[in-house]
Amino acid sequence: MSKTNNFVFWGLYIVAWLIFVGLSIDAGGLLVNFFFSLYKPEFIQNLYQKLDLTEMYKDSRLAFFGIYSFILAISILKACLFYIVIRLMHKMDLSKPFNTFVARQISQISYYTLSIGMLSYIARQLAEDLMCRGFVTNNLNQFWADSQAFILMGAVIYVIATIFKKGVDIQNENELTI
Amino acid sequence: MPIIVNLDVMMAKRKMSLNELSEKVDLTLSNLSILKTGKAKAIRFTTLDAICKVLDCQPGDILEYVGDDKK
Repeated sequence: MSKTNNFVFWGLYIVAWLIFVGLSIDAGGLLVNFFFSLYKPEFIQNLYQKLDLTEMYKDSRLAFFGIYSFILAISILKACLFYIVIRLMHKMDLSKPFNTFVARQISQISYYTLSIGMLSYIARQLAEDLMCRGFVTNNLNQFWADSQAFILMGAVIYVIATIFKKGVDIQNENELTI
Repeated sequence: MPIIVNLDVMMAKRKMSLNELSEKVDLTLSNLSILKTGKAKAIRFTTLDAICKVLDCQPGDILEYVGDDKK
């Protein structure tokens, strides 16, 4: 592998680590917010992102838990997605990348990306529906602004994963031809 | 898979060891072992030709078809 490729790979590896740490803090902060909004709502103003849904909690518990479940699930899935990316980049041998581990990791990345996209899309529709019913959900758009991008990316990665899997199968068959 | 490799049977009949066969057919020991244990997915005609020549047998002596109902 050329030096430039190696440099780009390690650069991307560091970026992936930084994003993973950021997303983990994001998910952790939202989880803490969730518990504080349940047990100590007056403390929310001092917390991360100041995601205050106490009004929604007072009006409808079902809407509150529904919206919060989506927010938490999406942020945790994003952190998991980058964890898989890091694991893949850490264990992948660039001189011999075609093996079942890499194929399985790429498939997992596609499943996670598609799940994030689908959940974001459903959550956005739910938020719009709640807005029509008089709830204030404008501050939530940041959590599912890129749902279609995730669905598109997931579909593309799924196609790549399928091709990769087939390639690994062919390579294994070739290796077992005597 | 319904194809059984009887290489070990033929080697025993000819009283030939795996090492000796590997030298004569110019295949590595690990490849011959894969073939002998039935882990191989395919066999080249050239390999089959070499094995038949060394063991003085027919391809049918090495490969056998056993249907699922006969197992």
